[in-house]
Amino acid sequence: MNSKTTSLIGAALVLALALTGCGSGSSGSAGSSASTGGAGATAAYDPDATIEIGSLYEPQNLDNTAGGGQGVTEAFNGNVYESLFRLTDDGKVESLLAKDHTVSKDGLTYTFTLRSGVKFHSGKPLTSADVKYSIEKVTGPDSQSARKSSLSVIKSIDTPDDSTVTVKLSSKSISLVYNLSYVWIVNSQAKSLTTTEDGTGPYTLGTWKRGSSLTLERFPGYWGTPATNKQVVFHYFTDATALNNALLTKAVDVVTSEQSPDALANFENNGDYKVNNGQSTTKLLLAFNDRKAPFDKVLVRKAITSSIDNKKLLSSIWGKYGTLIGSMVPPTDPWYEDLTTVNPYDPNLAKKELAEAGYGSGFSFTLDTPNYDPHPTVATFVKSELAKVGITVNINVITADEWYTKVYKNRDFAATLQEHVNDRDVVWYGNPDFYWGYDNPQVTKWVEQAEQSDTADGQTELLKKVNQQIAADAASDWLYLYPQIVVASSSLSGYPVNGLNSQFYAYGIKKSGGRG
Amino acid sequence: MTTRRRVPRSATLIAGCVLAGLVLAVAVLSFFWLPYAPDDTSGDRLMPPGLPHLLGTDKLGRDLLTQLMIGARVALEAGAGSVLIGGLVGLAGGLAAGFATRWLDDTISALLDILIAFPTVLLAMLVTAAREASLGSAVIAIGLAMSAIVARLTRVLVKRVLAQDFITASRTSGTSWPRIILEHVLPNIWPTLSVNLALQFGLAVLAEASLSYLGLGAPPPNASWGRMLQEAQASVFIAPAGVIAPGVLLVVLVVGVNLIADGVRDVADPTRRRTR
Repeated sequence: MNSKTTSLIGAALVLALALTGCGSGSSGSAGSSASTGGAGATAAYDPDATIEIGSLYEPQNLDNTAGGGQGVTEAFNGNVYESLFRLTDDGKVESLLAKDHTVSKDGLTYTFTLRSGVKFHSGKPLTSADVKYSIEKVTGPDSQSARKSSLSVIKSIDTPDDSTVTVKLSSKSISLVYNLSYVWIVNSQAKSLTTTEDGTGPYTLGTWKRGSSLTLERFPGYWGTPATNKQVVFHYFTDATALNNALLTKAVDVVTSEQSPDALANFENNGDYKVNNGQSTTKLLLAFNDRKAPFDKVLVRKAITSSIDNKKLLSSIWGKYGTLIGSMVPPTDPWYEDLTTVNPYDPNLAKKELAEAGYGSGFSFTLDTPNYDPHPTVATFVKSELAKVGITVNINVITADEWYTKVYKNRDFAATLQEHVNDRDVVWYGNPDFYWGYDNPQVTKWVEQAEQSDTADGQTELLKKVNQQIAADAASDWLYLYPQIVVASSSLSGYPVNGLNSQFYAYGIKKSGGRG
Repeated sequence: MTTRRRVPRSATLIAGCVLAGLVLAVAVLSFFWLPYAPDDTSGDRLMPPGLPHLLGTDKLGRDLLTQLMIGARVALEAGAGSVLIGGLVGLAGGLAAGFATRWLDDTISALLDILIAFPTVLLAMLVTAAREASLGSAVIAIGLAMSAIVARLTRVLVKRVLAQDFITASRTSGTSWPRIILEHVLPNIWPTLSVNLALQFGLAVLAEASLSYLGLGAPPPNASWGRMLQEAQASVFIAPAGVIAPGVLLVVLVVGVNLIADGVRDVADPTRRRTR
């Protein structure tokens, strides 16, 4: 009896297995023929594809004026929200929601004409009132936007009709149009923008699973060219190794920004992936406290700059990637110049400069070092380089929060390491109250004049002077410019490769073939 | 049957001494001789093992063997420091609890339970927040966490000894408590306690490596094996030596110390001594 039952069950199992085998075989072959047929019949890409994006930067919240952080810029800028102007991937400013704009003769009044037929995701048409509301949201007292001070020249905003916005300035500001490319145009009636959105972009927000992913869906009522994919999913990782593994196992199609060159070995010379070496705007600074001895002496700062072999440092951290710039200006800014020769790597020169400054027998200082990569490694290198010219470095490892309080707010530091991510941020050297305390009235004046110039050429010329002067004064030591490495599956095209201010336009991404 | 008393020997003890002695020898040697200066970055990035860098170099071009040798120092210092703090604090606490009245004993026991339930990493973060990230902070945190375990063990051992008749006899003959502790309690609890401390030494070495891995231990440029592991992690596929070398040494030291603990227990505890 018992053995009979067992053999019956056995037979049933064999049968079931055979049936499943047949089933999966036939459905498998049907599936594959359908997919090759589909790929051959339609265009080179799948317009209804889902693009899986891997990123290390999850938004804190969904409002960029409420401390949403780099993550919300990456996911939403240009994708969900649009501005009057767009900063393209190669650093140019184009009209977007503004069809047209005129500037008065004195340069103090800007008149913007809005594009017609633009609708918010909620269905409400875009009007000038929304633009006024959006700009005031950035400049308002509650705003935590990094752009707040750049827009403080705005005196008043008028809306003579639904499609016209007039902005009056208290002084001329040639960067206004550029700065407006960071102002998201938000529906003035929208509520709870830290968890929802109402923008005009090519995507609407699908779901946001905190700690995991954020989904964008193509918006059918978009005014412009629709996105070349149906859905975009940002997958958030806290660990770069896990992120790379996700790309290797094809859980994600593209990584927005690689943080170490070592994982790239898996993707280089691999036909399934493309490694894109783009331009970033992130500079790693050894920032001195220029107010405090001995760093109030130009010669001491120059000596330190000349003691550190930035080329070796860059190759230690980034292998063959990254760029030396010798100043604060990255190549994507219009006023870029290669200034690496101003304070060349030359320990003998450094020793001479130190002796001349009265520190021939060296000195010691504390280097406040953020505890995340690459800062501790860089600090180790700096310590070893400066030891060769008689300077002792005490490395003090601190958290990002401590850095903000101790260094940025209280200016209680001698020197620090920090990455500065923004483009066009050389102008901060014109502010003597900034944390590094560089105070050169001439530079402050040039920065002010540059902002008030009538032409872009005039602005460029003055900011070049600023850049040369801060390099000559070794206001900080600009160790290197980060590379921007986007690694993507080779089935993807049309993604941005330059990480300007960490934006990542997804609407042009095309995915060929398909995994369904 | 021979009744000749033999010197107890233990193969595990010998193996343990060899393994741990190896690390100790490397640490001692590092004070007198290093292949390169600790902060010499003259090598290339991630050189493979060979000549002139026997184990290769790290990202900054520093000699890996040099780092490893200094790391041995850090590991032993961390283990010894933690055991010293944990042992002294734990012994004091355990003795107090063992001799205490019911009410005080319960209070101390409750405190110990809370301390044991506290993750070492969390404790280390608190100590780091109060002081700074350094080897000293890590050692204090590990020592404190260890002291709770040592104290609980000591308390039980003390109570067991105190229940013995010879203590009562001693007491009635007028011996003072401090003398009883020195002459009767400590010698009786020491064999068990020393084995436990040896085991704790191994755990402390691992704890320090974990804390340094998380950036809560010795700050750069001090070479701790944990830090070395963390720094080499991203490049494990192209330069595996950076991960393997400190990993192997960690295993050697911890296994060595554990074998010593086992060996000491075998030798000290007659019931566990194997008859041959």
